[in-house]
Amino acid sequence: MRVPAPAAPRLASVTSETLIRNGLAARLAVLLAALGLWQGLSASGLLTPDLFPSMTSTLAALWHELTGAVLWAAVRDTLAAWAAGLLIGGGCAIVIGSLLGLSAFAYRSAIPVIEFFKTIPVIAILPIALLLFGATLKMKFVLVAFGVFWPLAIQVIYGVRSIDPVSLDTAAVLQVRGLRRFLVVVLPSAAPFIATGLRVSAAVALILDVVAELIGGGSGVGLQILTAENSGPTAYPIMYSYILVAGLLGVVLAGGFALAERRVLHWHESQRSQA
Amino acid sequence: MIMRQWLARPARALTGLWLFAVLAAAWWVTSAGSTSPFFPPLETILRRLYQLWFAGSAKQQLASSLAHFALGYAIAAVAGIGIGALLWSLRRVREATSPFVYFLYVLPTPVLVPAIMTIFGIGFAMKVVIIAFAAVWPTLLNTLDGMNGVDPVKLDSARVLGLSGPAMVRSVVLPAAGPQIVAGLRNSLQVSIILMVVSEIVASTGGIGYFILTAQQNFSFVDMWTGIIVLALIGTVLNLAFVLAEHWVLHWHYGARATEGKR
Repeated sequence: MRVPAPAAPRLASVTSETLIRNGLAARLAVLLAALGLWQGLSASGLLTPDLFPSMTSTLAALWHELTGAVLWAAVRDTLAAWAAGLLIGGGCAIVIGSLLGLSAFAYRSAIPVIEFFKTIPVIAILPIALLLFGATLKMKFVLVAFGVFWPLAIQVIYGVRSIDPVSLDTAAVLQVRGLRRFLVVVLPSAAPFIATGLRVSAAVALILDVVAELIGGGSGVGLQILTAENSGPTAYPIMYSYILVAGLLGVVLAGGFALAERRVLHWHESQRSQA
Repeated sequence: MIMRQWLARPARALTGLWLFAVLAAAWWVTSAGSTSPFFPPLETILRRLYQLWFAGSAKQQLASSLAHFALGYAIAAVAGIGIGALLWSLRRVREATSPFVYFLYVLPTPVLVPAIMTIFGIGFAMKVVIIAFAAVWPTLLNTLDGMNGVDPVKLDSARVLGLSGPAMVRSVVLPAAGPQIVAGLRNSLQVSIILMVVSEIVASTGGIGYFILTAQQNFSFVDMWTGIIVLALIGTVLNLAFVLAEHWVLHWHYGARATEGKR
């Protein structure tokens, strides 16, 4: 059976396998060459420290931060809002999306509204969240949860709509109803759609999280970057080391989701070709 | 997809619209007597919206925002498809650079705003660079992924039939990778809109993001709400335009899928 039409899960999913394949030696060589080029440009004076810090000073700053407490507190604050927003926004999206998906009328009524809210740039909500909660963890969390909810709800609805009618009929004949039907029939069928939605949402959540820190002033990696930028060129190595940290967070979270997806959905045909 | 259904079946349009009407009415009614400065009555907001954005001069904010967006997004789209295709054709380069590309793809790009500001100042160039640099990755990676996914048999057949170079790309690679490239362009669109606003809020003296932020800081919450509504409308219109363009470009793809999907 193919996964049916709207928003097929494989679309727009950039798998890390496409990128991470053999050729480790070549990659290391390119990495070292890039680092060398960076240092060379700084040493030759083409890159001045007030524009772009040298490679050694950035790595030294990164090491200094890694061994200090500030960085880990910032990472913790960033991850806290990310996780809470994803959990609450995602949980609501799965429950509400499933309920809406099960009724044709509810689905047709709700989809345009959800599509509309999805296209609202979430930053538009930031001033309201700032007014209500100030530069707090709660403000970041609300922004992330709001941003995660709409795209994921759509994925869930499409996932639930794509259930094979035979499964639903079988469940009806076997008198599987209510919560049990939801857990045993609906959720597994919609799982690949939900997984794709979650993977995308996790990335969106991280972006909104750092935006809330950069603009809203909530504590976390984003705020550290802004603070370093405001302290002038001497702090640029610190700024770039936090940018590297933000990228590493992205790598870890994206990798974690891809791995979890493969583990949890190993039984589904969308994953089988990779086995 | 949804638009097409609406257009084709007007009866369904009603089902699609009643909830909007109910929600808008609910907002109107519940906010009508509101004395909270944060949540002014919808009627007040809409009156002000007309004054500022239709009769007034706030339109100019919009023009500069959209100019940044359009240029940044166009650069990202062309560079994303171009570099993606180039990396696809040069296997060794692709493998060697893949960790960098992946790193930049998963990096939450707004963190680059302060860094790009230190290099490009806070003018027009900075905003275009930020939008383009952030939005290029989804298109680039989806182009690469889509082209990698082209059936090798098709490529071999084309080669046997004597196709090569541009002809091969036009008649085999692009149609096969098209849907995923479009999906990438769509992600890039969303990123562009976000970065358009972020760049204006962080450092600007104009644009819709700046308008919303200054309104909030000056406690003119009615003005802030009008900016939020206008921004929401911009997001919706741009996405709608994209969906229409997508259907126009990929009509053959949806046609094929629709016939496949009939059981």
